[in-house]
This record gives sequence, C-alpha cells and structure tokens, in this order.
Amino acid sequence: MILEIKNLLKSFGGLVAIKDLHFTVSDGEIIGLIGPNGSGKTTLFNLISGFLKPDSGGIRFNGGDITGLKPHRICRTGIARTFQLTKPFGGMTALQNIMVGRMYGAEWGGRVRQAEEECEKILEFVGLGGRGLFFASSFNIVDRKRLEIARALATKPKLLLLDEMMSGLTHTEMEEALQLVKTIGHSGITLIVVEHVMKVILDVSSRLIVLNHGEKIAEGNPQEVVRNEKVIEAYLGE
Amino acid sequence: MNRKTSSLSMGKLFSISGIIVVLLALIPLLTGRTDVITWFTFTLMYVTLSQSWNIIGGYTGQQNLGHAAFFGIGALTARYLWLFGMPLPLALLAGSLAAAAFAIIIGFPAFRLKGVYFVIGTLVLAEILRIVFDTLLPRASVLPSRLLNVYSLTPRYYLNLIIAVLAIGCVYWISRSKFGLGLMSIRENVDAAEASGVNTQKYKLLAFLLSTFMSGLAGGTYAYYASAAQPGYLFSAVWTFDAVIIAFVGGVGTILGPVIGSVFFVLIQQLLSLYLPGGIHVLVFGILFILVVLFLPGGLIGLWKKITGPDSKNGGGRIDSRD
Repeated sequence: MILEIKNLLKSFGGLVAIKDLHFTVSDGEIIGLIGPNGSGKTTLFNLISGFLKPDSGGIRFNGGDITGLKPHRICRTGIARTFQLTKPFGGMTALQNIMVGRMYGAEWGGRVRQAEEECEKILEFVGLGGRGLFFASSFNIVDRKRLEIARALATKPKLLLLDEMMSGLTHTEMEEALQLVKTIGHSGITLIVVEHVMKVILDVSSRLIVLNHGEKIAEGNPQEVVRNEKVIEAYLGE
Repeated sequence: MNRKTSSLSMGKLFSISGIIVVLLALIPLLTGRTDVITWFTFTLMYVTLSQSWNIIGGYTGQQNLGHAAFFGIGALTARYLWLFGMPLPLALLAGSLAAAAFAIIIGFPAFRLKGVYFVIGTLVLAEILRIVFDTLLPRASVLPSRLLNVYSLTPRYYLNLIIAVLAIGCVYWISRSKFGLGLMSIRENVDAAEASGVNTQKYKLLAFLLSTFMSGLAGGTYAYYASAAQPGYLFSAVWTFDAVIIAFVGGVGTILGPVIGSVFFVLIQQLLSLYLPGGIHVLVFGILFILVVLFLPGGLIGLWKKITGPDSKNGGGRIDSRD
C-alpha cells in the first residue's frame, strides 16, 4: 500500500468539499478518479499534494504521515502532480522547466550540465525532443501538457497525480497522451488519473473511484463501476 | 544543441569582459580628470545597485520598492563605523550585514504580502526609515578634515570597480545555478514551483538576503565616496527608482541589462544636466521607463537580441542562463 486516505474531511465555509473520504492505493496501480463537476476531485488532489490542509483525517504515503505538509515537502517524499490548467514557467526554456523539477523535486548533488542531459531525455520521452531551448510560453496547449508531465516526472515520483490531461486535446493527441500515460504506468509509477473522457479512463485504469459531492459512491473494477446505478444516477440525475 | 559553438562564444564573452575590466582599471592612470572618474565611479555604483535589485525584482519576480532602505542602512552603518576608525573593508561588510539582517526581520512579514501589497509595503517601509533618520540625524555627516585633506577619487573608483565586478559575477552565477533556477521558477509561477519541490518561502528570503546585502554594499561605497551625506537622503526613494529604472531600461532579469542600463543612465544624466536645469533627467527617465515597460519589455538587451538574433524564441531573451 503506497497511499492511504483516512476519514478525510475538507470544507470551505459551509460547503463540504470532501466528506469522510477513505481509500487506499497499492503500489503500481492506475486509479481512475471520476465524478461530476464539483464532486471534489481537484480538491482531493490539492489535499494530497499539500496545496490544501484537511480539516480532519489523515494522509499516509509510503509509510509516513504527510498530512498538512507543505507542497514542496510532499513533492520530495515522491508525490508529483500536474495542474488542470497548465502552469508552465513561461519565461524559462522547456529544459529549465524540467530542470527545476529534477534539481528540487528529487535528491540532487550533481552538476547543472548533468541535470541538463537527464532532462533532455525526459523531454524526448514526453515527445518534446529538440524543443528544450524554446521558451515554455511559446508552447501550444498540447506541448504545455507534455511539459507539465515532464516536469512532474523529473521529480522522480512514486505517485503521480494527473489532473485532466486530456481536456482540450484532439482525438489523435488524446491517443498519444493515452500511450504516454500507459507507458508511465508500466514504468512502475503509481498513477491517480482524473479524467472526464470515459473511454480514456476505462482504457487506462485498473480500478475506478467515483466521487459525488465529496463522498465516495463507488469503487472497483472499471467495467462494473460504470454500470453501478448510483454512478449513473450521479452523472445523469434521477 | 550546438554546444561547441556556444561555449566558444562563452569563452569570447569572458575574454571581452576581461579586457573591459582591464581597460576600466587603467582609466585613473590615463586621465586625471575628476569629472570623468566621477562618471565612471557612479556608473559602477549603479551597476552594483541595479544588479542587487535585479536579483529580487528581476530573477525572483518580487517587486521590492523598498530597496533604498537597505542601501541606506548599508551606507549609514558603513559610514559611521568607518568614521569611528574601523578599517574600510570591515565597515563595508558590517554595513552589508546590517542591511541583510534588517531584511531577515522584515522579510518574514513582507513576504506574507502578495502582489501589489508587497510593492506598497516595501515602498512605505523605506519612506518610514527616511523620515526616521531625517528626524533623528538632521545634520549632514561631513568628512573630518583629516580625511578631506587626503581625499582622492582613485580608491573610490577602484572600490566600485571591484564590487561591481563581484556583483556581476554573482548574478552570472545565479543565472546558471540551481539556486537561480529556483528563483526564476518562483517568478514564473509560485504554485508550480512548490509542486516541483522548491521551498518558495525559503528561496524568496535567500534572494532577498543576497539582494539586500549587495544593496548595502552599494550604499557602503557611496558612504565612502560622499564627502558630505545627509542621513535621510541615503534612504531616499531615488535610490530605489534609479535601480528599478536602470534594470528595466537595460533588461530586467538578465546579466548584462543592469550594466548597459547603468552606462546609459549616467550618460543621459550627465548630458541632460549639461543642457537642462537640474532634475530634468528624472523626468526623462520616467518617460523612458514607461515607454520601455509598454513597448520593450526586454529592455535594451531585448532590443539588441531582437535585432541580432532572428531566433528570439530559441534561448536568449530574458534569461541568458543557457549557453
């Protein structure tokens, strides 16, 4: 078990965003996290990655308690994330973007040049080979998403949280992104994937967790979960 | 990519810089004209001052408008210690340390302020100090006759030369180090920096310390230069705005921008003061600053790169850290 969420609670004023949430993730799993808009998926990501502090409950990762740690500390324990709206370091080159992740997100004692070489490989891996010296601000949406993944991978995560990687992509781009996600999953990194495109989520995930109004309403085998009445009700209404 | 050619141009850059420094070192031997040496002394002091602002404002993206506070603390501390008989290098060091120490005290609350509140907060801070010192020490500090009798510009010039070279070297190191990458990531996006493992609070504060230390050092060189100095004037907002304008006009967040900006600034200042009534150069620079911010965000350096390199997207630009 790599991640354990226990009785997690988070509310904003009177609105309960995450309600007594409980689940575990095993090493190497690819979890699909779905739910209607406003069901608390991004809030959960923000809680796990430290951008929000839970009101109560705990998060254990890789044997240690990470509840309430700051984002950069959580990153160094081995959890990386991408943002739904990409946040590139626009005034820096693509290579520099990734080097930040490499040199700050994981142990680093080497020389800058060495990091550069490693990061060039990561760029190639996500399909941005040869684009390292371009400013991130010059990238289109697809390349920004690739860059976001590359920067996250550079921190050498054990667990990667992918927040809506597919939104705004065309069909072909989606296929490529899907392959990339699968390759990352096969490399042994545990993944939690938030996605609206059902085809993608069914294709990629080994287990599905469904949130509605901050509560877990279903969990298990993807094919079975999507036939679950509660889930259909949550998406389509009564 | 073409690393060989670029490391060659890197070597070229170093040799050119070396030659320039040697030529600058020869100036007092070549000319006895005090006006020329004063120009150069001021240019070099502005290089240090604007580079110091460049670290926090340009590289880290925290628009500190209280920079004069640290210049003033450095200047005042160094001046009084030096006049009390402390050796000059130690007095300068003490001044810089005092500036940095003050930065620690106000850094924690100041960085809780975001965006425009940080800008206003730092601006107010410097003004408060100016008023305090105008009230506490209303009389100008004049060099005693034992020092005035032996006053020479040459050591002032060399001191500023050495410190300016160190300041440029420091920014050069920042621009190609892990430290600098961290600072730039904060400037570009704080959340993404945190998510990538950067302790943004810590690195903001480190940048602030380095910047204020350097600003205090610039203040110290001024304290050593000035035969008479009004304590309140050392905290005047002019020091902040000169630094900011120089950095922006030259090219903010670059190594050479503040250098070019300083040369340009002093040149214009001197030319205008020859033909126009005093103080007009401030107006000219204010207008220039607005024009640069609106139409030339990269400053003179950016303009130069636009003219010389058609592949402006490829490397270069605001960050000269990649070769």
